[in-house]
Amino acid sequence: MKKINIIIALLLTVTFVMAQEKGSVLIKNGTVLTVTNGTLENTDVLIRDGKISKIGTGLSAPSGAKTIDANGMYVMPGIIDAHSHLALDAVNEATNPVTAEVWVGDALNPLDVGIYQALAGGVTSAHSMHGSANAIGGQCETVKFRYGEIDPDKMRMAGAPRTIKFALGENPTRVHGSGNGILPRTRMGVEHVIRSSFQQAKEYMQAMDKYNAGKGKKGFKGKAPAYDLRMETLADILRGDIIIHCHSYRADEIYMLMKVCEDFGIKRLVFQHVNEGFKVAPELAKWGAGASIFADWWAYKFEVYYSTAYNAAILTKNGVTTSINSDSGELIRHLYHEAAKSQRYGGLTDDEALSLITINPAKQLGIASRVGSLEEGKEGDVAIFKNHPLSIYGVPMMTIVDGIVRFDRENDADDMRIYPDPEEKIDVTHWQAEDHDRCMQNTEFLFHE
Amino acid sequence: MRKRDSLFRSVILILLMGLVPFISISQDSDLRPVTNKYVIKNATIVQAPGKIIKNGTVLIENGIIKAVGSSVAIPADAWVVNADSMFVYAGFISGLSNIGVEKPKDKDRKDDRKLTGTPSYERAGITPGNTVRDMLKPSDKSVADFRKLGFTASHSVPHTGMLPGTGSIVLLGGSNGDNMVIKDQISMYSQLSGADGVYPNTVIGVMAKYRDLYRKANQARGYQSKYNSNSNGMERPTPDATIEALYPVVSKQLTVAFKAESVKDVMRVISLQRDLGFKMMLGEVKQGWDAIPAIKGTGAPVFLSLDLPEWKEEEKKEAKEGDDEEKEEKEPTAAELEKKALEARKMEMIKNYYTQAGKFSSNGVKFGFSTMEVKSKDFKTNLLKVIENGLSEDKALAALTTEPASILGVSSLMGTVEAGKMANLIISDTAYFSKDANVRYVFVDGMKYDYEVKKKKKKKSSGESGEEAVDAAGVWNYTTETPQGNGSGVITIKGTPGDYSGTITVSFNGSTNDIQDVEVDGTNVAFSFKLNMGEEINVDITMDIDGDSFEGTLSVAAFGSFPMEGSRDPK
Repeated sequence: MKKINIIIALLLTVTFVMAQEKGSVLIKNGTVLTVTNGTLENTDVLIRDGKISKIGTGLSAPSGAKTIDANGMYVMPGIIDAHSHLALDAVNEATNPVTAEVWVGDALNPLDVGIYQALAGGVTSAHSMHGSANAIGGQCETVKFRYGEIDPDKMRMAGAPRTIKFALGENPTRVHGSGNGILPRTRMGVEHVIRSSFQQAKEYMQAMDKYNAGKGKKGFKGKAPAYDLRMETLADILRGDIIIHCHSYRADEIYMLMKVCEDFGIKRLVFQHVNEGFKVAPELAKWGAGASIFADWWAYKFEVYYSTAYNAAILTKNGVTTSINSDSGELIRHLYHEAAKSQRYGGLTDDEALSLITINPAKQLGIASRVGSLEEGKEGDVAIFKNHPLSIYGVPMMTIVDGIVRFDRENDADDMRIYPDPEEKIDVTHWQAEDHDRCMQNTEFLFHE
Repeated sequence: MRKRDSLFRSVILILLMGLVPFISISQDSDLRPVTNKYVIKNATIVQAPGKIIKNGTVLIENGIIKAVGSSVAIPADAWVVNADSMFVYAGFISGLSNIGVEKPKDKDRKDDRKLTGTPSYERAGITPGNTVRDMLKPSDKSVADFRKLGFTASHSVPHTGMLPGTGSIVLLGGSNGDNMVIKDQISMYSQLSGADGVYPNTVIGVMAKYRDLYRKANQARGYQSKYNSNSNGMERPTPDATIEALYPVVSKQLTVAFKAESVKDVMRVISLQRDLGFKMMLGEVKQGWDAIPAIKGTGAPVFLSLDLPEWKEEEKKEAKEGDDEEKEEKEPTAAELEKKALEARKMEMIKNYYTQAGKFSSNGVKFGFSTMEVKSKDFKTNLLKVIENGLSEDKALAALTTEPASILGVSSLMGTVEAGKMANLIISDTAYFSKDANVRYVFVDGMKYDYEVKKKKKKKSSGESGEEAVDAAGVWNYTTETPQGNGSGVITIKGTPGDYSGTITVSFNGSTNDIQDVEVDGTNVAFSFKLNMGEEINVDITMDIDGDSFEGTLSVAAFGSFPMEGSRDPK
């Protein structure tokens, strides 16, 4: 009995790093994969108060900072997932073709143990996205995986640009066209929904601007257009304050959205999935749109049949800012394998392949000045691997966010849940696997006739 | 004292028997009491938390506490309660509940699919203009259930939607709904619930809609006041009763009472409040311990839920240790170790729920208790367990009396046993916060309700649990909530305990099915049936019967279990 109690006591001392968001740590003698400045052998990385203060040799740790011996290990920037639905309690507000006003940042779930599982795959940041049920979905949230915090605000990557989810093709036409018998039923309809929404927003913005310009004047009698959070959000897209991340597969619809954005003066656009991106790679590069893709995942619906595992390489070689994403609580745990596939198929260099899961997604999210590579002054988000991360033998050993170790394979407790269910039944082996694709979560009810 | 199942049933009984022996019935009917003066003599009077008068007397007249003290003159025409060894407390106040508010029936909604994005305000659950005053029914079962526990007043709010309407302070008694109301328009009740199938369907929709409505109202109110002061040359404001109903919220005259059970909901509501700046109180908080600093930061008062997860560790542990002694000590297997570790973490989590009130108290957060979800039969047990886990009795009493009175702005009317206040009192046969205490009398607005102490039932040799098996026979109407929508039907149970048979109808496919394997344990009845949904699936039902109502679960292997509830048709 005593033995059991001791073991239980040990299991219970799961030490969460609570109420502390920034730390200092010295990583000694690793092979440092900076991604943007090449590979540095036997090099130290010093993170002080959450930021990389020095990369060099023979560095010493400030008092109180932990030293990690990375001899024989690979030190790379924390992996960034440009398309995830992790740690969200609601993914789709699918009731209307346009729901620009909703924001998944309102549904963050810092208690999701999936965050810890992603940390165990070297991931430090993700783009938690609204789903693809509507042509203009909700706003997304760029998060840092500070697992152990309860406050959703501590999950947010404060200062990251706002982003919004758009969707083209089969999902929005299936939900609203086939499901509800309303616009959009076809790809033309999707374009129309987007164009007419931008047009309304433009008129709203102009009327609001006119009102705001006049309201200070003496004897002003004007009436503002009725406040509308949806129009406000769409107007913010037109103003360039929100990056569009658009779910897309076919080359024609990808080209279409670039044209629409051009017509409304919108310059910040990233395509998600983009399975036919390889067909319009030069056009994407010329336009300056990003592409966030799967390495080799397709054929799960009709519009995703025409695909290739060379997509990442073709897009990269054409000069498109390309990333590889997970869109899944499982894939997110081995994005380094997904990036490695671009070498198997497209022969990308190590830095090109690593860029797909570090600096490029950072660019697409507008956070490249802060994360995505190991550079002095950037935030202390680091993944330490045993064996090269692009090797099939690569194993993530430690994941550090803002200088705080959030995952350590050597010190990995069995039960990392923060809030266990007080009513759970324990005698049943119970594994609820997450759906592979949460893009269409919360829309099921719309398919009932 | 007889059980007062319902007024209807009682009236039938009276008609049949041709006599009127039930004193209690007069209290629910239009008959006036014989006197409106009451004296409670020789009692221990807990005037307020920590303020006790021994051998004191309380005089009540016309619904008001006339005098409290050790020497109070007793009028000749008063009804005297000889309360030797009894305890008198101020009646409890529920900080947030649906007491007295009938639950609206689930409407069979056939929505126009074309309009899921643009539903009416009502369908979207946005009815800030509704007032609970129009929905109150003194005959609602919750009124008698909670009064029996010592509650005399409640901050009651309407049921459904993200903005169900305004709440009132109501008495747990009265001849009609209007009569129950002490103070109207106490709060704008809000919750993060989606509108089930239409916009706003999810929490992200609700949060966005809340911001949208608030800012719309703010803008419209500003324009309206400009128009009111000088309308010359101005376009007419667009009338919208729903938006106008939010004006008192945006002008911070009306406090928003936000239901927030989980820690996530608490944090969401706080961020909404930070964005918009409304005056707020938080209600039915279940998981707030980690959010104490954030809650403190808002300065909002809180009503903590007493609906707590079941704590049944002790007996189990003892039983297990007993087993271990008999057996030889073996090395535990990995699975046993894992299970034990999981049990320990679960227990640790459960304890958080019980220590929460103590933590709020020691952190100086102003709080009371809400009773939205707690079953009346669990209230006392849970309360005592919360006291065992770090909340002092005085603080518990304060959280049930003075604190809610102060939070809700009715301290001059209720919350203490003092001359001049409303005669809302509890009289228990011994100190209320002891296990054996029984409530003997409750006064609501000077109206006396008396309760007899139930004689302890003798243990039945057959029932292992020691509880007498419930009589489940009858016709039960049930409803259940599943991801496929709400279901309903009728369970018909025939026979006697131990020998039940019957049928269950299922609305999903309109079938009637025989029930099997009926087991009765105390108030629990469990059975199963086979449902033909293309292929035959096995459905397990459990019913926890409380009088003529039950709560239970419907479980289908591989699909999970879903809550159900229902009531028995009068025989």
